[in-house]
Amino acid sequence: MTDDVDATAPLIKLTDVGKRYGNVIALRGVSLSVAGGEVTCVLGDNGAGKSTLIKIVSGVHRPDEGSFEVGGEPVSFASPRDALSRGIATVYQDLAVVPLMPVWRNFFLGSERRRGFGRIDVGFMRRTTKSELLEMGIDLRDVDQPIGTLSGGERQCVAIARAVYFGAKVLILDEPTAALGVKQAGVVLRYIVQARERGLGVIFITHNPHHAYPVGDRFLILNRGRSVGYHDKRDITRDQLTALMAGGTELEQLAHELETVSAGAARELTEEAKDLGVTPTDD
Amino acid sequence: MAQIIDVDGDAAGAAAEGPSGGGAGGADERVAARSPLRQALGRPELGALIGAIALFVFFSLTADAFLRTSSFATVLYSSSTFGIMAVAVALLMIGGEFDLSAGVMVTSASLVAALVSYQLTLNLWVGVAISLVVTLGIGFLNGLLYVKTGLPSFIITLGTFFMLRGLNLGVTKATTGDVATNSVADMDGFEQAKTVFAAQPEIFGVNIYITVFWWLAFIVVATWLLLRTRVGNWIFAVGGAASSARAVGVPVTRTKIGLFMGVAFAAWFSGMHLLFAFPSVQSGEGVGNEFGYIICAVIGGCLLTGGYGSAIGAAIGAFIYGMANKGIVYAGWNPDWFYFFLGVLLLIATIVNLVVRRRAETAT
Amino acid sequence: MRRFHHQKRRGTLAAVAVTGLLALGTLSACSSSGGKEAEEQQSQAAAGGAAAGPRLKIAMITHSGAGDTFWDIVQKGARAAAAKDNVEFLYSADPEGGKQAQLVQAAIDQKVDGIIVTLAKPDALRDVVARAVRAKIPVVTINSGAEESAEFGALVHFGQDETIAGRAAGEQLNKVGAKKAICVIHEQGNVGLEARCAGAQKTFAGQMENLNVQGTNMPQVKSSVTAKLQADKSVDGVLALNADVALTTVDAAKDAGSGAKIATFDMNKQLIAALKDGRIQFAIDQQPYLQGYEAVDELWLYKRNGNILGGGQPVSTGPAIVDKNTAASIEQFADAGTR
Repeated sequence: MTDDVDATAPLIKLTDVGKRYGNVIALRGVSLSVAGGEVTCVLGDNGAGKSTLIKIVSGVHRPDEGSFEVGGEPVSFASPRDALSRGIATVYQDLAVVPLMPVWRNFFLGSERRRGFGRIDVGFMRRTTKSELLEMGIDLRDVDQPIGTLSGGERQCVAIARAVYFGAKVLILDEPTAALGVKQAGVVLRYIVQARERGLGVIFITHNPHHAYPVGDRFLILNRGRSVGYHDKRDITRDQLTALMAGGTELEQLAHELETVSAGAARELTEEAKDLGVTPTDD
Repeated sequence: MAQIIDVDGDAAGAAAEGPSGGGAGGADERVAARSPLRQALGRPELGALIGAIALFVFFSLTADAFLRTSSFATVLYSSSTFGIMAVAVALLMIGGEFDLSAGVMVTSASLVAALVSYQLTLNLWVGVAISLVVTLGIGFLNGLLYVKTGLPSFIITLGTFFMLRGLNLGVTKATTGDVATNSVADMDGFEQAKTVFAAQPEIFGVNIYITVFWWLAFIVVATWLLLRTRVGNWIFAVGGAASSARAVGVPVTRTKIGLFMGVAFAAWFSGMHLLFAFPSVQSGEGVGNEFGYIICAVIGGCLLTGGYGSAIGAAIGAFIYGMANKGIVYAGWNPDWFYFFLGVLLLIATIVNLVVRRRAETAT
Repeated sequence: MRRFHHQKRRGTLAAVAVTGLLALGTLSACSSSGGKEAEEQQSQAAAGGAAAGPRLKIAMITHSGAGDTFWDIVQKGARAAAAKDNVEFLYSADPEGGKQAQLVQAAIDQKVDGIIVTLAKPDALRDVVARAVRAKIPVVTINSGAEESAEFGALVHFGQDETIAGRAAGEQLNKVGAKKAICVIHEQGNVGLEARCAGAQKTFAGQMENLNVQGTNMPQVKSSVTAKLQADKSVDGVLALNADVALTTVDAAKDAGSGAKIATFDMNKQLIAALKDGRIQFAIDQQPYLQGYEAVDELWLYKRNGNILGGGQPVSTGPAIVDKNTAASIEQFADAGTR
């Protein structure tokens, strides 16, 4: 189902990857790929294995099984720095920004542009911050305002823009919309689309199918460390995705169990499962 | 695809919302109107500057002698001895740390120079150099202890404060048999070193202590460091959010140790002034001054929680401190009330800072 | 020592560094070669001839802060007497009344043979002194507490009545021709210092006002005195309350272009020079050495022979007035750190 994309040589390709912590199998048989100009969404409930997956891609952990290729080349990262040098940048939920510092100082923090004598090129950094953010569609009147005065969504976007500017080819976004309101989440989603349009590969981790579906090109759904579905957008509807996410089969099971307690509730659940398209429509 | 366009529409809507959308979005008259005020409020030294002007006008009106140039030189001298330390302490506080040993470290620095030179009959410059090494070593130790233990710097430097206090007295008494050092005024290098650290050149008919000019130099260097160098960026970052700073590759450990050593350097400098202006050094001096430095930095807009402040602000804070200190004398008031006055100033300054910080942090 | 000089002249950084290390090493090595050791040898020699009998243990507990020249001299006096009288001398101090009381209690617990205590904060010490008296430990008070001494049950008080000393200073200021003076208090709220100024105010014919300065910060002392002299050009006399402040005041007066005459309390070796060349008019010495020496000696006398000095009245150790004419005669003692 991903034949057409494979032709463009995926930036990241995981095949049958597994990871265990001692006796606990955190991830098993998961495959995923993302090419430039694509958004791959990873969905799953808490404990589904999303964070283990991110940690493998961002170089925090090495997989125990399966293969990990970057640009068609097998890799084994020793640290996040290795991943970063291959252009894989991770934007974590806490963002790594310093709230009281101006936007432009945050943008260049740790990678300041210098002009000799230890001086920093303030003009360049201000201009660059403004133009880079503008390209992401954020028009800041004043890049000198503390980044803490920006909204949560905008701060996410600054973090994304920063990663892009410093050479990221693949962005891993860890639940960027989780702590945001509806409108703010919309702002972030827009920037995800923008990053995609600039030719980046994006791995977008979320537990919200309503956020994932509009921006994603393909969807990996995880449950208890296993892949329960890996679909191209054209192969799946939003409702189906939601149902998979909500654990449609489990919903059915729950309905059976409830039948003994309350027939009414069970019927409603069965109806809902049908509406969502999870149960085969054989009855 | 319909959904994406839908999202885009949503996003544009959010961006145009104004305050909740921050600076994003198109022309918004509220943004334009708010900008100058916000910019002004964003400057940490603003509150202090207003305070300094008010205090200056106030004392000019109430104390006849205050406006004379010679009086002003005295106020500046008083301010500069606090100000040199306050500038370094401000950098440290912006970096999120305290140094309670700063006050007695000044005395330690001058004692080391005096004792080494006198006891070994060396040229004073040798003592001055050794003192620099020793004092920077103390600063390094403060920083290292902080970094290695992860304890609050408040506790670490409280420990070194007591240790230095004890060492100052213990070593002085063990070496000289007295609690003060012998006068070094007749030793080789004294006049030379005095020219550097404690000269009083005459300018426009007024003798101004050279510390005033050194103070200005400290302000300029510290401000440049803070605003125009990579290190400055790091100082703000390690004070504002150390873990975030570490995540983006800022050398947090080195920055913090460097800041403690910066305070040590200022302490050495102040110690040298002490030695060459008052050739015999009392080993018990300096206790309590550390709070003076912190007060100057706080009046000047530094946050106690770190990540915010300015060297110029701290210098203005020291000027306020010096003005209040001497203004009361010029005005001929009952000096018993000095600390009350100072306490009021400190409270006002802290409240102004709180307001600024709230504006900066909770604009979402 | 000569070797150091040689290295230094080469002027290389390395030499400076090596010198530094050697210097520090030598510092600790020769720490006992100062005047203190000489003094102790002197004292021991004296002790050899005197005091037979059981070795006594005497504790002195003062309200001194750390690093105060005055209390250093008191201790020197006490140690001299202790060496002579074959006494084991224990010294402790805390400026806070409550903590000083705890130190006195510690001395009682150690079952010392005598206690010397200062009553700077009499109320804080009332109970603990009573406990010492109940435990049959003789108590001598020194320096502060002339009024409470007998009431608390102490044998005798050695000290200088600060008000009387202040009055003497006021009279002396009249003699040097001052008309308007300031009294520089270097520790705000210190009863003894306030009493000195109050005493001086009583006898001083002109007008006198107080000036509070922060004694632990010399630049601030200097700038405050300068400010005061600039603010009021008619001030022609300054009364400092310790030697260091007095010497700083000399500089401050020069800065302010003031010709004010400067006088002081207490004594040290730098002060002698200033007295000799007239930069400072006179000094009121309360002879701290005497307070330490006499207190130990009195306890020894009491233990050995039941003697009590002063007939129930406080014994004055001052004021002794030192001026240009008498300065030279005590110079050698000041140099040795005992005046």
